[in-house]
Amino acid sequence: MAKESTPKPKDDLITYAENTWCPGCGDFGILTSFKNAVKKLEERGTSRDRIVITAGIGCHGKIHDYLNLSGFYSLHGRSMATAQGMKLANPELKVVAFCGDGDAFGEGLEHMLFASKRNADITVIVHDNGVYGLTTGQFTPTSERGYRGPSTPFGSIEDPINPLVLMLEAGATFVARGFPGNQAQLTDIFVQAVEHEGFSFVDVLQPCVSFNNTYKKYNAVTEALQAPAKDLDEALSISRRTEKLPIGVIYNIERPVFHRALFGDKVPVRDRPTRETRHEAIRKILKV
Amino acid sequence: MIHFTKEAKIMKETFTYLVGGKAGEGVKKAGQVAARLFADMGRSAIEMDDYMSLIKGGHNFSIVSTAVREITSHYLKADLVVALDQRSLDMHKEHVTEDGVIVFNSDAAEADEGKKVIGLPLTTEAKKYPEPALRLGLGGPSVLAAAIGLDKDRLKALIEKEYARGVEDNLAYGLAIYDLAREKVGTRFQVEAGQAKPMPIVTGNEAIALGAAAAGLDMFFAYPMTPVSSILHYLAAKSKALDIAVVHPENELAVMNMAVGAAAMGARVMVSSSGGGFALMQEALSLAGMTETPVLCILGSRPGPSTGVPTYTSQGDLRFALNQGHGEFPRIVASPGNMVEAFHLAGELLGLAWRFQTPAILLTEKHLAEGSMTVELDPSEVKPAEGLMHKKSKGAYKRYLDTKDGVSPLLFPPSKELIKWDSYEHDELGVTTEDPKIITKMNDKRRRKAEALVEHVKRLRTVNIFGEGRAKGPVIFTYGSTTMSVLEAVRFGELQPTIVQPVYLDPFPVWELSRFKDRKALVVEQSSTGVFASLLKEKAGIEATWTFRRYDGRPFEPAELAAELKGVL
Repeated sequence: MAKESTPKPKDDLITYAENTWCPGCGDFGILTSFKNAVKKLEERGTSRDRIVITAGIGCHGKIHDYLNLSGFYSLHGRSMATAQGMKLANPELKVVAFCGDGDAFGEGLEHMLFASKRNADITVIVHDNGVYGLTTGQFTPTSERGYRGPSTPFGSIEDPINPLVLMLEAGATFVARGFPGNQAQLTDIFVQAVEHEGFSFVDVLQPCVSFNNTYKKYNAVTEALQAPAKDLDEALSISRRTEKLPIGVIYNIERPVFHRALFGDKVPVRDRPTRETRHEAIRKILKV
Repeated sequence: MIHFTKEAKIMKETFTYLVGGKAGEGVKKAGQVAARLFADMGRSAIEMDDYMSLIKGGHNFSIVSTAVREITSHYLKADLVVALDQRSLDMHKEHVTEDGVIVFNSDAAEADEGKKVIGLPLTTEAKKYPEPALRLGLGGPSVLAAAIGLDKDRLKALIEKEYARGVEDNLAYGLAIYDLAREKVGTRFQVEAGQAKPMPIVTGNEAIALGAAAAGLDMFFAYPMTPVSSILHYLAAKSKALDIAVVHPENELAVMNMAVGAAAMGARVMVSSSGGGFALMQEALSLAGMTETPVLCILGSRPGPSTGVPTYTSQGDLRFALNQGHGEFPRIVASPGNMVEAFHLAGELLGLAWRFQTPAILLTEKHLAEGSMTVELDPSEVKPAEGLMHKKSKGAYKRYLDTKDGVSPLLFPPSKELIKWDSYEHDELGVTTEDPKIITKMNDKRRRKAEALVEHVKRLRTVNIFGEGRAKGPVIFTYGSTTMSVLEAVRFGELQPTIVQPVYLDPFPVWELSRFKDRKALVVEQSSTGVFASLLKEKAGIEATWTFRRYDGRPFEPAELAAELKGVL
């Protein structure tokens, strides 16, 4: 009896867009882990129509086209600002910004610092591969000293920044590091980050197979962190480790979020004053 | 000592008051209160503040001109000058009308006194109370009240309302100055009460904020920059009363990108800045064009290039406004000619941004933004800003559905439908594309949208024409706040030209302007190279035979402008 061929079930979290990432790219691991996280979030009560995404420009940004989720494909370095606007307009949405390391720590560093400072209730996932892949491999803010790329043919003469320390110092209330080599853990980090109320930052060590292949290195030096730090000092000290790179949730605290401090429980796109109420307020202001 | 009796009063149809002093002495407030005083008399009033880019010291002055008829510009020659320090006295002694008077602070300045120059010990009196420097400015309205014969109770009520902080000391000081001025200056001027009921006084910035609010503004994002910072201050102060979320982020890049993100989730948003800050918003303005996101942008000009002259006025950013954002997409640019028009235009532009899902720019200048005048504003005349919404019956949602007029229906999360906005060129669903056919199709869609926008704008009031009936004479073309100066100059000089003020600059209303092609064209603008004149020529084929340009940061003065116009009309 001929075996009936069952068509592969359609992946309802993926659009028809052709995936053009290089075979073996670390971005695939991020995509898979995020899809798994969306499914888990749904099981835990966050329906997928409430999860909206945004992305910067670069290899990472293509995730916006691939994920079958609503969102706004933003500019290089600005998706963190876009995400904050989205959240402020409708705080009932869970807003996730995908960024590259050039995006987050070069072009748009100020938005990262201020989103942390004001504890904007968004999630930022940085595809941190230490290279501008889509523009052919230049050094980025997280590239190692000595990195050779088309703009640094004799090796980078700058030290890399430490994104975790930077975000902790700026006031982020959730800081984690993940590695696509450990998808189960990365999925769990994403779930926690999205559920966290406040600014959640996930630095994903992402190998770039074409320009900065770090699979071997990260497989060797990463180690799972058992529990988040008890306080900021411990979180900073964990984040500064260089021999072994801890992966997992490093810091997770509660602090009032920006939109609630600004306008309480209001949802600006829903809780509008009526036209008459607004006009009455204007007349009152103009009253002599 | 000179005394004036009631018989000596000089009748004044238009009256101008100027108060000058150091920053921190309450000069601006002394102007505002004077404007309020005239408005309470049922007169129309306009105020212009000239101030330097510093916090304390320097020289600031405030001019208020008032008339029973409508008045649209201050005059530099004042009937009453109140000089709080030597610099003000030296600078403004030549700005006194023939029958006017300059009253100076004799504790801070020296001059030969006479009928036209009178000293009062403003500082000595102020020192009787704590924080004397803060009280000095109140000397202005107090002298004014005495000079126009306002009775003491009216002044008392005004001080109680306008100088409420430390009111007891303020009353004692103000009334003491009033008595001194009564004695030395006398009731010199007769300023008639007007017929109008007291009108509110608003700045251009306040009018813009309220107009957008009337149309349904939900959120406002801005980083401070003169001359539009006061939109941010005003809306922040009124955010609870108006129920508008006001956000002051880290820079203009965040401002515009946050605004675009908020609009894509369904919020009616507005941003504001001046040249330099607006330049930082350009990239995201182009983003709004590509993603078809409605954003109302306020561009308040000051003299450039670069940091330029921050607290003064200019119309040098016209081409900058018209060319905002890289790439080809529909833009809307319009500039109001006075505070009332600013109110209506802000609401109308928010509506157009939503109707056509594209950025709209309200271009204005420091002169209008920070100037203030008596106005009548009715919010119910402002239409609500509404966009075309997706209907469930129309099937699966496509953010960039290719429609006849290029306008795709809107839908906002949360929704079971997939809603994708994209800064890359995209297909109808909002997925990135490099397909030449789709690139062409989407450019055509945006172009058709621009064409539909022009047809729509044709039904709006895009041009103001004054003196239409003067069919054969010369036409003065002007726009923006310069319109106020031209109208007042024409009244002052009793001139009879036709004045044409395009309100819309993109789309440029050539359909309205073509009938003026054969008339002698004059242009008045605040630009050194004549950008408005060049736009008129380029778009409407109208070549000015004479242009009057001012580019020293100061607004036109109606008496001077009238003299210039007389020579060519």
